[in-house]
Order: sequence, then C-alpha cells, then structure tokens
Amino acid sequence: MSDPAVPIRVAAYGCVTPFGDACSTHAALVRGECALRAQPVLGGEDGDLVPLALMPGRSLDETAPPAWLESVRSLGASIFGHAWGAPGRPVFVTGSNFGVGGLYALRRTGDLKFAVWGAPPTCTEQLRLELGWGPDVSILTHACVSAHLGLIEASRAIETGIADEVLVLSFDFLSPFVTGGFHALKILNSDFPAPFRKGRAGAIGLGDGAAFAVLSRDRGDWLLSGQSLNNEMHHFTSNRGDGSGFARCLETVSAAARGRPVWFKGHGTGTLDAGRLEVGAASQLFPGAPIVGWKGSLGHTLGSCGLVELAIAVESMRSGRTPGTLGGAGEPLHETVALESFPNGAFDGVVCASNAFGGAHAAFLLSHA
Amino acid sequence: MSDPLIARLKQLIVETLRLEDVAPADIPDSEPLIGGGLSLDSIDALELVVRLEKEFGIKIASSEEARVALVSVAALAAYVRERVDPSRLPA
Amino acid sequence: MLERYLQTVVTDDAPEGQPAAVRERLKGHFPPGAVRRMTTLGMLVGSALGELGPREEDAVVYASGYAESRTLEGFIDSFPTPSPTLFQTSIHPSAVQQLMIGRQLSVGEFLPLSGGSLLAFHALRAAFLAPAARVLLCGGEEKGTWLLEFGLASDRTFAFGAALTRERGVAPAARLQLRRGEGAGELALAAWFDLLNGRAGFSGFVAPGWQLDLEWL
Repeated sequence: MSDPAVPIRVAAYGCVTPFGDACSTHAALVRGECALRAQPVLGGEDGDLVPLALMPGRSLDETAPPAWLESVRSLGASIFGHAWGAPGRPVFVTGSNFGVGGLYALRRTGDLKFAVWGAPPTCTEQLRLELGWGPDVSILTHACVSAHLGLIEASRAIETGIADEVLVLSFDFLSPFVTGGFHALKILNSDFPAPFRKGRAGAIGLGDGAAFAVLSRDRGDWLLSGQSLNNEMHHFTSNRGDGSGFARCLETVSAAARGRPVWFKGHGTGTLDAGRLEVGAASQLFPGAPIVGWKGSLGHTLGSCGLVELAIAVESMRSGRTPGTLGGAGEPLHETVALESFPNGAFDGVVCASNAFGGAHAAFLLSHA
Repeated sequence: MSDPLIARLKQLIVETLRLEDVAPADIPDSEPLIGGGLSLDSIDALELVVRLEKEFGIKIASSEEARVALVSVAALAAYVRERVDPSRLPA
Repeated sequence: MLERYLQTVVTDDAPEGQPAAVRERLKGHFPPGAVRRMTTLGMLVGSALGELGPREEDAVVYASGYAESRTLEGFIDSFPTPSPTLFQTSIHPSAVQQLMIGRQLSVGEFLPLSGGSLLAFHALRAAFLAPAARVLLCGGEEKGTWLLEFGLASDRTFAFGAALTRERGVAPAARLQLRRGEGAGELALAAWFDLLNGRAGFSGFVAPGWQLDLEWL
C-alpha cells in the first residue's frame, strides 16, 4: 500500500519567528539571543508578566484580519512551485490554535469582523483563498505534535503515489485565549523557561511561529525518515513516570538511525518532569548525542513547533553549526545537554522530537540526502 | 466544633469540582486530596487554585506550589491562614 | 483504487437534544467520577469509539470540524479567571482523549483532523493511508450556542465510530472504495454521519478528483 522505500525529501523549507526567517532565526540562536520578553499575560497593560515572544510590532490584542496574517503571507510568497491544493499537490495545514484569538475578541466585542478567523475550518478557508490554493487543503490539529502529523500524512501521500509533492504549513500565534489558558495551568508564570536544566519549579515561555516544508520524492537535499508517533493516553498534562512513552516513540527513530552519529533536538519546553524523562530517553537511545532545545529562546510555538524547529534544524545542518540549549542557568539534566552551539559536520543527521498534551509523542530523523 | 474555614474549603471542593456523589462532610481533613480517595488529579488541583484565588485573594504562582498547598484539606487551611487577611476568612 | 471494509459501525444522533439528557444516558459508559469533567462531545465520541474496543496497535482517525464548541464557549466566558479544566478539554482532540485517558489506553497512531466541506474525504483518506491493520474512524460535532449564532459551531449534535480493515473478514458491514476520477464534489462530516446512521449507500465525488463508493453488504 505505501512504499517505505520511497525516499521522502525536504525540497523546500522556511519559517518565521520574532527573529525573522529561518536563516535569521538560526543566526540569533547561535548568538544566544532570547526572543522572550516579560509581557502582561492577557495583553494590554495589566496582569501578571509572563515570557512571550511575539512578532515585532504585534501586540497580544486581536485585530481583524489577524496581525499574524502577514507573517503567514510572507511564507506563502516564498513557497516554490505552483498549484498547491490541486489534485496531486495537496496541502496539509497544521496547528493547534488557528484563529482562536478571534473567538476571544468576538465574544468581547461582538464585532463580526473577528468571526471568519475564529474556527479552524473558516480560518483555513480564508488562508486558502488568501494564498490562492486549490481545494485539497486538509487540517491536522493535535496540539504540539500537529506539524509532525502533517509531515507523516504528506509522506504517505507521496509513498502511495497519491501526490507528487506536498506542502505542509504550520502556524500558531498567541492570543489571550492561549496565554490565559497556560497561565491557568500554572506553567506560564513569571519565570523564564530553562529547558533541560535542573530547577525547583518548571516554567514555559510561549512564542509566535509559522513554518512550511515541501516534501517530494524526487528533489531536495534532506531526507526525512523514521517518522514515529506514540500516544500514552495516561493523563492530559503529565507522562508515565517510567518514560516509556518517550522511549517507545524514539525507538523507531533509533532504528532508522542505525547507529549513525546524530544530534538530538528535543521538545524541551522548560517543564521539569517532561524534560527529565525526555533527556533520559534520548540519552539512552542515542548515547553520546548532544541534546539541544530552543524553546528557552523562541518560546513554545505550540502547534507549529515541529515545523519551525525542523526549519532551524535544516538551517543548522546547512550552515554546519547547531545552536545550543538556551535559557536558564541551572545545572543541565544530563552531561549530553549542549548549552553552547557546536559544529555538526561530524554528524549524519538530527533527531527532532516533539511532545503534546495527552502524552502524545512524535519524532523523525532528518539527514543529508 | 467544626472549623469554619475547613468546612468552607470542603464545600468549595465539592462545588468547584462537581463532585456530585460526595458531601463536604465526607471529605477527610488529613487524607491526600490529590491521588487519594476522591480521585482528584493535578487538573482538579489547578481548578481549585483558581477558585481559591478568587475566594481568598491569594496567589499560587506555580504548579509545584499548588501541589504543596493542596496536600490535604488541613494543609490547605493552614496555607490559606498564613496568607489571607483574617477578615476574609469565614467566621 | 483504495479499498477498505467497515467491520463495525456505531452512530449516535443524540435524540435527546439537550446536553444534560445526553450525559445522563451515556454516563454509565465511563468510569465513576470521570463524567464530571467530560464534555458532551467527549461522551458521545467516547461512547462510539469505546464500542469499537480500541487497541494499542490500532490507528485512530478522529474528525470534527468545530470540536469542543460548548467547552470553548465556557472557557472564553470564564475570563478574566480562565478555567484550567475548560482550557484543557477545549483543545482538539480532547473528545477522544477523554475516553482513552479514562481507560489508560495508549495508541500508537492518532490522527485528529478538522475541516469543512471536504472533512469526510480527508478523514477517509487518512484512514485509508494508515498502515495499521485496523483503523478506527470516529468523529462528531456538538451543537453550539453563541458560537453557532456566529456560524462558528455545528447546528447538530452527533457522533460516529467505524472500524476499517483491509481484510474483508467474515461478515463486514460495508465496503468502501476510494478512487480517482474526473469530477468534483464534497462530503461534509454531517453528510458522512447520515450515510452511516441510515446505512445508506453512496457513489459519487467526495472531493475534486476523488470518488467514493459505499456499499452496505
């Protein structure tokens, strides 16, 4: 049915973060810069200050059309190829929150201009029209592993011959709906995130982000393999204490790596238990692999993180340098956590992992073609 | 004589978490709230925190602090007493 | 041409209408104490999916255009002191997670989709492409209140679950075939539900270039 022998190549990629495009974002991370700033949790001037990384010039308060639309448009303009959404060239849009900030603004103001962006189907339809896509645009939405699902579905479409090339687009932009929710979960607070470091209490930061990847069977300098999923279904906000959920997902990728030297880009939001379990699984399955996480600078870009961080990982391999793990000052959870940037020429590739509510795990191996 | 703060906390627990088959008086003072006989979990704890913050004007900053405060009803009462103006406590 | 068999089909059109009545009918399907935090959509989809007996080696494909509308409404209305429970359960794909976490049922592959007029096709495509021997295709909607007034929620409440296999098996309920063709059409989730609920056959385009044949056996 599907032919896993069909190579899946990344033919094009890109992202936009508060630092700019993939190249600018990578450079900022190598320099050790932090995009997170302490800002009022619900926007405006009042409320607890929490670490957020918003696109330059954008406030948390919703506008219509959304202020993030320009960021997504900029990605659309750079996408190579034509006729996305036509038969044989499907689009997978992935994310967690879409235009949910519009719902928040709609309820507060009653202004109908916010309505069309509010729900995933209507938001995506607006984007489809904005970017001139055909009708085959599907939506995969599973919190912080959303982007990985898009990559898997895109890969299957290519492997089965349904598609020649596939566009995966991922975006997630902050709103009071989202920041208020994470603040209520007590993991978005005044502390800045310190991924993969020991500490008394964990904390996350949140960030804006969008990215795309074009997958192809015939062209592209980077190979995607070992794509893996696992869903613990243990608890909404915590993982099984033995780390088996992380391990089960990473075992597939480890098999794909076949002992080749890789570095590991973890999920690493800054929460303590998940960070410890992730580092434990990664260090066991990829012994000696340097472990990095970038959410201490970019914040957690939620549904788009898998694809934003794929773009940065590709940029890292293209440039020959991997940004280190940013954020915090405590002792690292394991000796393989790389705090400083390092040259990556000796590595065959990178394992990229993301995790989500409900104990969802996703990962893949990205390597030179 | 029952402690009015403890009685109020038990009532809040039942109301906030919609424990339909539990009477406030059935909740033991010193047994674990989270992971104990009521089958409450960390999300329940956070929901309680929101209610407590609203009721008593306290601020619980992190999930770790919530875990400590909500060890038991008795521990929660002590936590609240330490931080709240006595005029806001039930008489 | 892609072919699958429907082995088991479960549908629920929530005849009671009101969420409270639906919850009263379905609460026995879930562990004691779990229902207090479940959403109506979670109980409907969870009941349908639960009847299929999900196993770890299955793939689960879940489709809902508007997902947890009532919980979204409740969460937004809980500001300025947002409810963590409502936030958590408003996040797609909470409805399936409520069942699976309640039963501590891990699953390897879980693909939640949203969408509009092509959602049924996209969900079927995802189910057909999943390599698992058995794919549980489930979904549903719940009727909104103020979100519905703005056209941002479903005007119907329903849920379905169906087990798809490549192998015909002993007594399949239906055969599904997806194939390419010149033509266009669409199949919204509610229309797909009506086909399952009414055990109605279908032959036609469900997306530009894609034809579906559903034959009850």
